[in-house]
Amino acid sequence: MSIETRIERFAAMGTRVEFHVFGPVDDEAIRAARRAVEAVDDSLTIHRPSAATALNEALAAGGSVEIGDPLLLEALALADAAVAATGGLFDPTAGKGAPGRWSALSLDVAASRVTAGGPVAFDFGGFGKGYALDRAVDILRAAGVASALMSAGESSIAVIGAHPLGGGWPLAIPDPGVPGGTLAVIEVEDAALSISATVGAGMLAPNRAATVRPRDGRAIAAARTAIAVEASGALAEAISTALIVADAGEAAALIAAWPGHRHLFDHAVTAAAREDADV
Amino acid sequence: MNERDFDLTRRGFIDRVLAASTGIGMATAAPWAMAAAAGVERGDRVRLGVVGTGDRGRALIQNILKTKNCTVAAICDSYAPHLARGRALVPAGTRSFTDYRAMLDARGLDAVVIATPLDMHASQTFMALDAGLHVWCEKAMARTIADCGAMVARARGAHKVLQIGHQRMFHPTYLAARKRAAAGEIGTITQVRASWHRNKSWRRPVAPDATDRQINWRLYRDRSAGLMTELATHQLQVANWFMDALPTRVMGSGSICFWKDGREVYDHVALVFDYPGGRKTIYTSLLNNARYGCEEQIQGSKGTIEPELGRIYSEDPNAVPALQQMQCDVAAGNKRAVPIGGATWFPELPVRTPGTPLGWGEYDETMLQFEGFGEAVRKGRELPGLLKEAYYASVASLLGEQAMDSGRALDWPKDLVAV
Repeated sequence: MSIETRIERFAAMGTRVEFHVFGPVDDEAIRAARRAVEAVDDSLTIHRPSAATALNEALAAGGSVEIGDPLLLEALALADAAVAATGGLFDPTAGKGAPGRWSALSLDVAASRVTAGGPVAFDFGGFGKGYALDRAVDILRAAGVASALMSAGESSIAVIGAHPLGGGWPLAIPDPGVPGGTLAVIEVEDAALSISATVGAGMLAPNRAATVRPRDGRAIAAARTAIAVEASGALAEAISTALIVADAGEAAALIAAWPGHRHLFDHAVTAAAREDADV
Repeated sequence: MNERDFDLTRRGFIDRVLAASTGIGMATAAPWAMAAAAGVERGDRVRLGVVGTGDRGRALIQNILKTKNCTVAAICDSYAPHLARGRALVPAGTRSFTDYRAMLDARGLDAVVIATPLDMHASQTFMALDAGLHVWCEKAMARTIADCGAMVARARGAHKVLQIGHQRMFHPTYLAARKRAAAGEIGTITQVRASWHRNKSWRRPVAPDATDRQINWRLYRDRSAGLMTELATHQLQVANWFMDALPTRVMGSGSICFWKDGREVYDHVALVFDYPGGRKTIYTSLLNNARYGCEEQIQGSKGTIEPELGRIYSEDPNAVPALQQMQCDVAAGNKRAVPIGGATWFPELPVRTPGTPLGWGEYDETMLQFEGFGEAVRKGRELPGLLKEAYYASVASLLGEQAMDSGRALDWPKDLVAV
């Protein structure tokens, strides 16, 4: 028996977004899910005028700003929780070579207001993709979708329910150091997965900046890949980013907090081990 | 094509125009189209006197003869061979003149159709209006911005219809494109990249009984602004129409860089028209390379429309190969790991998708222009919105010429007449 399939593909969030829905689904639900991703893009992008760029301009010298855009407000609230969950290792405030500024912020969600003691700018990056997928997942779930895989730029993935042939969705994460090689195969079900890396094709993206450690503003030079499987895309993005910038102790703590769902690969160590094996 | 076949084709064409001209935003974006396609009322045919029976004038005559509400009542050309060719197209007994004044004085006309060199448009329009006639005039409107404005003012003052030949505004593909743009299918339009590239001299052979200025009037500065008024005008109208705005400024460079045959007008022009909000029309026209031909690439944040090709392109990216494989596996009942997890595609790469058709085949929309004009003359009321588009397109083309001549960026004139 053939399985009904619906594919939606479009450009948003500065990358390629795909929905693969298995089983019956209304066209309107697909359109609404797409609009949800585009709406997050419109609110959070810093590459064209948006609520985020307006906020950045307003906070260029610090101060207190009311946030009129509900998506931006929700993203800030989620980011606030993610910063707390990662001990500040995830920090979506921008600043080339500058430390993260989240600790200088005060967010009052009830009052829709953010206050900063000094200049602050937000760059939600991958966190925005995870958040956008979360919103699309909610819409499709509410429309009765029971099996779907959604990708935003192939490094942010969300799945609804089980694989159409049963069980989890097996995702083979490529090894950036070995062409055609696989770093890990991870099965996910009703979850979001995020991959962050300091090496590989993703680093070839135009204007791609190095990942920066929020604590001291230093670019991460180590060759690393981090994988996080979480209940939400926004959190998965925050955790994978945090793992990339974490020191050994911090990484171990993050991984221990949700064993089997968080992974960090140090490619320098892996390559050395391979060379040892070759000898 | 027999008459019945033609009627079916005509009906189908008008139906497509109607379909394209209805929809959200189209009442303001193309009010003329629905009015023109609304149908022809019964009654006497509108009697047209055609002045200028060169190539373009004869093409117009052939289209007028296809209409349900117009007839060619007289023709006029001061050049005998052109007049003879025009006479061959119209029924025997149609009056012909070598003198425009004589055609007007002979009476028996409701309107004139002007298809003469550009420098004659304004004076011939004034003469027709003074004779109590309506006017259909080829684009561009006139040789100077002041004359373009005077044509508008004089027509309005005389309460006569003045319609300018911009056939793209009646073309179902263009109307469909405009409708889809109005519906947001290509997102925010920030750039129109228009070009009209040909690989020929644009010089016509001159018979012994004619002068070069007579036949190759497009190559003389006092008679024409060359590529700007004869070609660019059409595309600048399209650009303004899709931008839903007027330029704020124009800068450009013109040169005679290939056909160094004594011509006075540029054979290569490149201009940038600024629009509010930082948007732009980038225009080029040249006469020694036809690779990119004639096109207006209307570029929005979600897609591109190329109306000459009749295609609309989405910015949607190519498929993720791993997810395509997953689909095949699922269809085959195989569950395999999906190799995914690192960005491998970036939207900055060129989009090479073939696009989808805007629909609808070839048909000469010039006929519909005249049916619309005929109804406007009958009612004594111009088709809404049309003259404004034409006026601003002519101003844009002439301002572009001035910018190239002066080597300066020129602001959009603030002293234009109200349309």
